[in-house]
This record gives sequence, C-alpha cells and structure tokens, in this order.
Amino acid sequence: MASATTSPVWLTARRERALSALDAIQVPTFRGTAGWEFTPIDKLDLDAYPAAPGGDATSLFDVEGAVSVSDEEPTVAGPIVMPLALAAERYPDLVEAHLGSVVTKQTPFTARNDAYWTDGAFVYVPRGVEVEAPIVLSTLHAQAGTALHWRALVVLEEGAQAEVWHESRSAEDDLDGVLNGVVELVVGQNARLRFVDAQDVSEKSWIFGAQRATVARDGSLDWITLGFGSANGKVFQETQLAGPGAHGTVTGAYASRGRQHLDFDTLQEHAAPDTTSDLAFRGILADRSSAVWRGMIKVDPGAQRTDAFQESRNLLLSKRAHADAIPGLEILANDVRCTHAAAIAQIDREQLFYLRSHGLPEADANRLVIEGFLQALVERFEAGPVRERVAGAIERRLQAVLGR
Amino acid sequence: MATTPDTNVNEAVASENASLQHINADYTERYGFHDAENYLYKAPKGLTRELVQKISEFKSEPQWMRDFRLKALDHFLARPMPTWGSPSLAEVDFDEIHYFVRASERSERSWDDVPEDVKKTFDRLGIPEAERKFLAGVGAQYESEVVYHQVNEQLEAQGVIFTDMDTALREHEDLVKQYFATIIPPNDNKLAALNSAVWSGGSFVYVPPGVHVEMPLQAYFRINTENMGQFERTLILADEGSYVHYVEGCTAPTYSSDSLHSAVVELIAKPGARIRYTTVQNWSNNVFNLVTKRAVAETDATVEWVDCNLGSKLTMKYPSVYLMGERAHGEILSIAFAGHGQHQDAGGKIVHAAPNTTSNIFAKSISKDGGRSSYRGLLEVAKGAHGSKSKVVCDALLLDEASRSDTYPTIRIGEDDVDVGHEATVSKVGEEQLFYLMSHGLGEEEASKLIVNGFIEPIVKELPMEYAVEMNRLIELQMEGSIG
Repeated sequence: MASATTSPVWLTARRERALSALDAIQVPTFRGTAGWEFTPIDKLDLDAYPAAPGGDATSLFDVEGAVSVSDEEPTVAGPIVMPLALAAERYPDLVEAHLGSVVTKQTPFTARNDAYWTDGAFVYVPRGVEVEAPIVLSTLHAQAGTALHWRALVVLEEGAQAEVWHESRSAEDDLDGVLNGVVELVVGQNARLRFVDAQDVSEKSWIFGAQRATVARDGSLDWITLGFGSANGKVFQETQLAGPGAHGTVTGAYASRGRQHLDFDTLQEHAAPDTTSDLAFRGILADRSSAVWRGMIKVDPGAQRTDAFQESRNLLLSKRAHADAIPGLEILANDVRCTHAAAIAQIDREQLFYLRSHGLPEADANRLVIEGFLQALVERFEAGPVRERVAGAIERRLQAVLGR
Repeated sequence: MATTPDTNVNEAVASENASLQHINADYTERYGFHDAENYLYKAPKGLTRELVQKISEFKSEPQWMRDFRLKALDHFLARPMPTWGSPSLAEVDFDEIHYFVRASERSERSWDDVPEDVKKTFDRLGIPEAERKFLAGVGAQYESEVVYHQVNEQLEAQGVIFTDMDTALREHEDLVKQYFATIIPPNDNKLAALNSAVWSGGSFVYVPPGVHVEMPLQAYFRINTENMGQFERTLILADEGSYVHYVEGCTAPTYSSDSLHSAVVELIAKPGARIRYTTVQNWSNNVFNLVTKRAVAETDATVEWVDCNLGSKLTMKYPSVYLMGERAHGEILSIAFAGHGQHQDAGGKIVHAAPNTTSNIFAKSISKDGGRSSYRGLLEVAKGAHGSKSKVVCDALLLDEASRSDTYPTIRIGEDDVDVGHEATVSKVGEEQLFYLMSHGLGEEEASKLIVNGFIEPIVKELPMEYAVEMNRLIELQMEGSIG
C-alpha cells in the first residue's frame, strides 16, 4: 500500500532515522535481557524475514453497519478511517503530530516497524464526535517467509467517542512469518475509546507487538485483547493514565495449544492523581503450550488517590502446560490503593463433581467449567455486540483448542 | 463501645507495649555505642588469594576446606556484581573491607572466661538476662569469631550439637564435610562465593532423630569494626522427626562508612523434621546486608523462615525453601521496614519439587521518610509436583508520599494439578482507622504507631516473646517523628 502512494518527506525521514538506529539495537537474548527471561527468541533471525505488505482481509467479526477503512474523505462531522500511508499524505499535520508519539521506546521490533511498515490504519475522531457504529480494521499476513510490519494509530479528540475493532490473521494456517505490530491509542480529554484487538494468526508464526495508550484528563479506555494464535513472541500492552481522572480497563483472554508460547507484558502507568485502572487477564493452556504474563502497576510520584487493580488467572489443562505470572507493583505515591492477584490452577474438581452429579458427561462438564472460567472476563462488558462478539471469538477458539 | 477486630488487636498491642515500656528504654545508649577496637588479629583491608589461605591456616583447617575457599574465591572474582535489586550495590567496594577479625584465641565455653570488653558489649545488649530467662545455649558472635558459646547440659544430653562453625569443623568434621555447601554451592551467586571464600563464625546445629529442642537456640551477631565485613556461615541439620527453632538477631553500632554483611545460611530438614529460623535484622543504616539463605525440606518435613528486616542501608535477602520430599511444607513470614535512606529488598522463594507439597508466604512491608521496600519472590511448581498448594500474600503500607513500595513476585507453574494464588495490596494508613483512633483522644503519631503495630501483628506474634517486644519497640522507634 505504501508503494502506491508517494511518501511525505517527514515520513521518509522517520523511516531513515529508524533504519540507521537499527544497528545499535541488540535483539534481546533469552537470559540476558530483563523482561525476556521466559521467552527465548534466540532461534529467531529477524533479518531473515524481509518486509512485505499484507493482503486485504474481510473481518471475521461481522459487525453490522461497521465503518471500515476506506480511501474516501470523511463526511464533515465524521471520523477519518483510512490506510495510514494515505492518511500521512492527506492529513500530514494530524498524522505527523501523533505517529510515534505514544510508542516512543526504541526496540529491535519498534525500530524495524518504524523503518519498514507497510500496512496500517489511521482512525481520527474529531472533537465531540460520537461514532456509534464500530470501526473495523484488519490485518492479513499474506506471504510466508516475510515480516509484516503494521501500525494502528487511533486518535480521539476531546469528548469524542468510538469503538474500534482490529484483528490480525494469516492467509494460511501454517504460515511461517513474523508479525510485528505497533498500536498507538490517543484518548483525549473526556473522550471514550473501546479498542478490541484480536489476533488469531498462524500457530507457526512469530508475533511481536508494542501497543500503548495514553489517556488524558477524565478520558476513559476500555481495551480488550484476545491472543489466540502465534508460535512464539511477545506483546507489550501499556496504558498510561496521563491526566487526572483518567481511567483504563484492560481485559485479556488467551487459549493456547500444541507448543504455542504466548507472552503478554502489561503496564498500568498512573502518571496523574485520581486515576483508576482495572486489568484482568485469563488464559487456558492445553497440551505443551505455555504462557507468560508480566504485569506492572506503576504509580508515579504525586499520582495520589490512584486506585489500581490487576489480576491474572491461568487454567492448566495438561500436565505439560506451563504458566508464568509475574505481577509487579512500583509505587512512588502514598495515598493509593493498588492490588494484584495471580492464580494458576487446574479445573476445579468440586465444580466438575457438582456438574457430573447432575448427570453431565465428563467431557461436557469439563467444557462448561472452562467456558465458565473465561466467561468471567466476558462479564466485564455490558450486554450487547461487544459481549456477543468477544464471547463468540472465545467460543470458536475453545472449539479449536479442545477439539470439540 | 463498638470495636472492630483491628482495633482489638491495636488495643492489645497498646496495652502490651505499655506494660513493657521499660524494656529497651535505653535503646540509643545500647545500640549507638561501640567499644574501642582491641583485636588480637585483624586482617588488612582487601581480598587476596594469600588472605584466604591465611584465614584457613590461622584456623588450622583441613585441606579440603582450604581448597573449597580458594575455588570459591575464583568464582567470586569471575562473577560480575548483580545488576538488579538496587543501583547502590555499585557502591560496595570489596577492596575497602576487612575480611577477617579475630577477637580472641578460641571459642569460650563459660561466661566467666569471656574477655571483659566483649562481655561489656553483650551486657549492654542484654544477653545475660536473656540467658537467665530463656536461653538453652548462646552462640554470641563478636566480630568474626564466636567468643562465647554455651550449650546447656540438657542439650548435650539429648545429643544436640550447637556450636560455632569453626569448632564444628574441628570437632565434627565428617558431619560438616557431608553437608557443608550442599544447599548453597559456592558458585550460587557472587556474594555466596565471597562468603564461601572468607567465611568465619556462624552456627552449626545438629539435632538427632526424634529430638525436640524446646527452647529456641539464639545467637547474637555484632559488627564492631569500621569497614568490617561479617561472613558467618550457618548450617542447621535437623535429623528425622526432630524439631528446632533457631533465632538470629543483629544489632550494630552506627559507623560512618559502609560496611558489608554477607552470610550464608543452609537448613536441612530430614524426613518429618521441622526447622523454624527467626531473624530480627537491625544493622546500622550504613550496612549492606547481602545474604543467601536456603533450606531443603525432605518428605513430611517443615521449614519456616520468620524474617524481620528493620536495619541496614540495603538488604537483599530472599530466604528460600526447596520442597524436595512428598508432603513437605514451607512457610515464609517476612516483615520489612524501610526508613530514610534505606532499601529493604526482601522476600522469599519456594520451589515445589515433589508431589502434594504446600507452602505459604506472608509478607508485610512499611515504607517511611523516603525509604523503599521491595518484595521480591519466586513461587515455582516443577513438573511432577502435582497436588501442590501455595498461597502468597503481600501487603505494603506507605506512610508518606516520599516513600516507595515495590512488589516483584514471580510465579512459575509447570504442573496442571496445582492450586496457587498470589495477592498483594499497597495502601496508606487508613484514614478511617486514624480518624477512629484520634476521635478517642489519641494523637496522630500515637494512632499511626498503633495502626502500624496492628499491621505487622500477625507476623510479630510468631516471634519469641522477647523478640516480639523488641520488634514492637524497634518499630516504635522507627515511627517516632513520622508525623510532621
């Protein structure tokens, strides 16, 4: 897509800067780099995967009346939903002001993305505009042996409201490649954003992600992550509550099988007083799969009256499954309430016994308990399309993982 | 009057404190002094191969121990300083430390034989009274060497060995050789390697099968030379079905330049045995306290660490229990108090390596006046350790906005049939509790003290009585002037 347009000068400069920084940035090694201890990527030769654009995909989410990415100019009061490269050309001021303003950390993955990105979308909701229909974005990894570098940039101005769905898939079930995404969410004052991100990519491919949101005064973010596919990799998901009264809810669900290894690294950064956050991640691990969840709550000096919560729960379905939970708190203000909880367990025998005593066959009882475990996440949303679609996506994944 | 369970606890603590107020009233006088240096042998600063050999020669050690020390020194020199924990670790200057000081020629068995100036120090620490009241035996470490050590007749009659490590090496060489450094090998980490190279003093405890040691075994430790490191080495071996409670308490006079304390403590609980190891750490605020403590619990055995960290400039210490036999149980109770200029990086590790093993970690921390307390822990369930259950609960209290609290637990689970949970909460002193107490006529400082006492009460009550009193008193001293 990028090749179809002429890239603005500032964007070319950005790419060149990232490219020249690449040599100096080491790919993290398994034991040597803090945060990467449990996710070995020594076997990955990043540069063996040349950058290649993705393909066009229709969304699985099937949201009626959805707003999708188009080259069309928006209506006067409507949102901009456009390929990122095109938006950079047509709205250079807007895109330049925000691109790279949220994800600022330079890593081997973000620098490569910066230098090589081909796919991406730009969503811009002007001040006070409420977009009722969901905005749907999708990314399709089309060519095996390549790296797909994609970006999503979502900007909600003051008082704006929107719901954005993004999904990543691979063209084939066994596609070997690298999916490297950067997501930047800018939630303005008093704005409300719901961002649903689902990845169901090939279980033979690598996945890397740097996703970060910043929420201004009295803004609110509801972020939902569904992590199903990929063989290995690591996705960072960070929420910065930048203005007083900002709120972030983060919900993650995953279900792995075979030899999949999923790694989620979340951050709830309270940078202003009176901010609240609530994070819940739940995962189901089958076969020899493993998952790492590392979660940090950071409270900056002066961020008084912070209320932060995080919870991670894993259900291990097999003796060979493995789960690591590394919750963390770094608190530099005193008038706060920060709580985290982590639990790893197998299927509750009592629940199972109860169901079986009511005549359910063992397989069905198992299935019900597992569904119930993830259902708790779905119940964080109000009844309606989001709840239905998320429940539907989880249901499909469970069918794949449990084989029935 | 309506009372909540919390206020009941606070009232109980208050009345206990009131009745025990005279104890430790001379705290500053007792802990803020140091005696004139009067040593028979004091090694020059710095660490060399020659010094390590000299220490070993001085102690007339067997060749295997000399070789062990030298091998450990190689590990120490080869390994980089850890880069995690605290940036102030970089301030530790290994060339500015005395690695060996010997206060008297040999271990003393009778109080009367102890040199007068040493006795004076212990007198002011309150050891004789403690002994009259409670002690079954005292291993008192003055500088690098144990100078006073008494095992009462009852213990000897039971076949219990309670002696300093140097004596144990001479008198029970086979036992020491069989178990020494089997739990913490010299290449475990840089500081353990350092201790292995230059260790001196510490306790050796052996409890024969089936023997229950009724009285807690206690040892007092002191650093009393500027820039002096203490590298004591403790090994406790509880044979099948036995029980022992070992208590380690530290106080130190205040000095101006940094000092290093790096102990290695190994516990072995044989099948059905139970070991409880209690520490009250109150080094002066210039001491780097970098300690490796690890225990192994065999089938049906129990190991409990009760670890209270109040003093030091930086403490990095994570007592651990490896549950190696079926149904073994591990328990870690931890209190950390970080005041001005202090960083308590404490916590605990539990590794479930056998089926149906259980463990608990309860950690409480308090940060005040810009202090930083960090809980750092590991909970691991290895493959095959099915039926394991564990619970980790960390609570932190922040007393002002300049202070900091961190929680870094790691949970690694490689088995499906397990039940593990972790919870942590960080909060400030509750306004409601404070308001309630103040409405009953208490000043804010007094009310805060009560709340803090109530906060740590569940762990303090696990300490032997005189230590509980000392803990409460120490916390009170730390709390003084906190409201301003």
